[in-house]
Amino acid sequence: MTGPGALISPTFVPLLLSLKVALAALLLVLPPGVLLGLLLARRRFPGKSLVETAASLPLVLPPTAVGYLLLRLLARDGPLGVERLGFDLDLLFTWKGAAAASAIMALPLVARSARVAFEGVDARLEGVARTLGLGPLRTFLAVTLPLAGRGLLAAAVLGFGRALGEFGATIIVAGSIPGRTQTLALAIFSDMQIGRDREALRLVLITVLLAFATVWSAELLLRRRARPA
Amino acid sequence: MSHRFLVDISLPLARFTLAIRWETGESALGIFGPSGAGKTSVLESLAGLRRGTRGIIQVDGRVWLDALRGVRLPPEERGVGYVPQDALLFPHRDVMGNVLAGRRRAGRRPARRLDPARVLDVLELQPLQGREVASLSGGERQRVALARALCSAPDLLLLDEPLAGLDLPLRRRILPYLYRVREEFAIPTLHVSHDATEIQTLCREVLVLNAGREVARGRPETVFPDAAVLPLARAEGYENVLRGTIAEAAGGSGVVDLEPGLRLTVAAAGLTPGREAVIGVRAEDLILAVEPPTGLSAQNILAGAIDAIREEAGTDGAATTLLVVVALGRRRTPLVVAITPRARERLALRPGLAVHLVCKAQACRVLATR
Repeated sequence: MTGPGALISPTFVPLLLSLKVALAALLLVLPPGVLLGLLLARRRFPGKSLVETAASLPLVLPPTAVGYLLLRLLARDGPLGVERLGFDLDLLFTWKGAAAASAIMALPLVARSARVAFEGVDARLEGVARTLGLGPLRTFLAVTLPLAGRGLLAAAVLGFGRALGEFGATIIVAGSIPGRTQTLALAIFSDMQIGRDREALRLVLITVLLAFATVWSAELLLRRRARPA
Repeated sequence: MSHRFLVDISLPLARFTLAIRWETGESALGIFGPSGAGKTSVLESLAGLRRGTRGIIQVDGRVWLDALRGVRLPPEERGVGYVPQDALLFPHRDVMGNVLAGRRRAGRRPARRLDPARVLDVLELQPLQGREVASLSGGERQRVALARALCSAPDLLLLDEPLAGLDLPLRRRILPYLYRVREEFAIPTLHVSHDATEIQTLCREVLVLNAGREVARGRPETVFPDAAVLPLARAEGYENVLRGTIAEAAGGSGVVDLEPGLRLTVAAAGLTPGREAVIGVRAEDLILAVEPPTGLSAQNILAGAIDAIREEAGTDGAATTLLVVVALGRRRTPLVVAITPRARERLALRPGLAVHLVCKAQACRVLATR
């Protein structure tokens, strides 16, 4: 899917790339996002408000600022550059870089939603589970996770949506290389700039359909989970 | 299995520091006290759900907590069956899923394991097995929570106000279940309640707690008439709780022997002679007579002697009710009678005076039978 295959209409290349980047970003952001949400919901520790604030920064910072920081971080002589690490993370100007940038931009939304989801679970239910002989991990899997499930699903949808629409950080870290890093959001901008209005409009329509499908299927999933079997 | 219970703990709470010391071999234990006395905190400390608890907890020789030596068993290793006040059923599981939530531990402890089918039978939960917990009534939720705790093979059952939040008719229906659980499964139980009747029916030893401190401790029948305890127990009208053996049963009434020569006629159907019965009589429903009364419809006239007279302050500080403690029979079983100050004057009541207690069979309600 990395190159513009001859069998795929050029319109769908940015669509497939967007899906790939957003899914990868979601997989990247879910574990730390859910863990952070759990930590903020259930634990009290020194510096908690600092962690909270830092994790929310990508929400308020201009995406280009986050992108620029990432770029400096990943540059050849940066802290995560090839010279320091001894190997190349291969993130600059690749789709993986786009996914990483999108994941960072989605982290605050995912962590916040996960936190709300975990806060909605009565901690005393976890206490009861412990008295019944379930250890902390089993309690999390058998009680906390299923009860927070709806909220976590919502967190994932938000994260996916955020990654799908990400523009500013992505264009700085990954550029806008057609067929390689040019996602829907980037392709729309690019087409518009060179006056290909029909192309831009077509991509916008595809984006609307994709967004609609995402939110709608999430609603369906949420509704099914709301009614226990 | 011999039971040994040792608790010597302190826990800082918002308005006071809870501090109790309790060592006993009795297995039907109760904590009585007004709301906010710290009762629930004791249970949570025992269950291991309060990190701030200091001191020592030892049950049947196993150390659950020894703060000074750094021993603090997590809740899952203590082996308690905790029934919280609001049941706290798992909303994502059905009735059976809740009842069997602790089955893994039960599997590891065959000596304590109870057959879930038997538990469901005793608590009459069989018809509810597949129900969603959201569709259960308050009484059903309490029974499911109790079954869940029982099926987790506990060494100690912790019941937090199992009947609070239920209306009176429902309380009367659930109380016999609790009694039956005690009789059937013989699991050491600590029962917390602000309801004196409940504690007297179910417990053999009670600790009275007020503002985090022990007010009194001992057998319920002697603790409750105590001067320091009676005012706390009066909130919803005091009910005397008596134990006896059903001697006769016919038609709509039965006779219960409290001790040889001391019998009580009660209005209740379906009693089985030979079984133990727990009878409740409200202090307001008893009549005092200084001479043997005759020609009454009331069937119970019991001879006794006044043990003590306690004044109860009304809202304006003046005594509106006197509580007369009458000792009955050879065991000097104390019964509390509520009268007005006027009645004391008219009859010249004083401690030591021989009296007769009059009680309608209709006023004796059967709280539980075995």
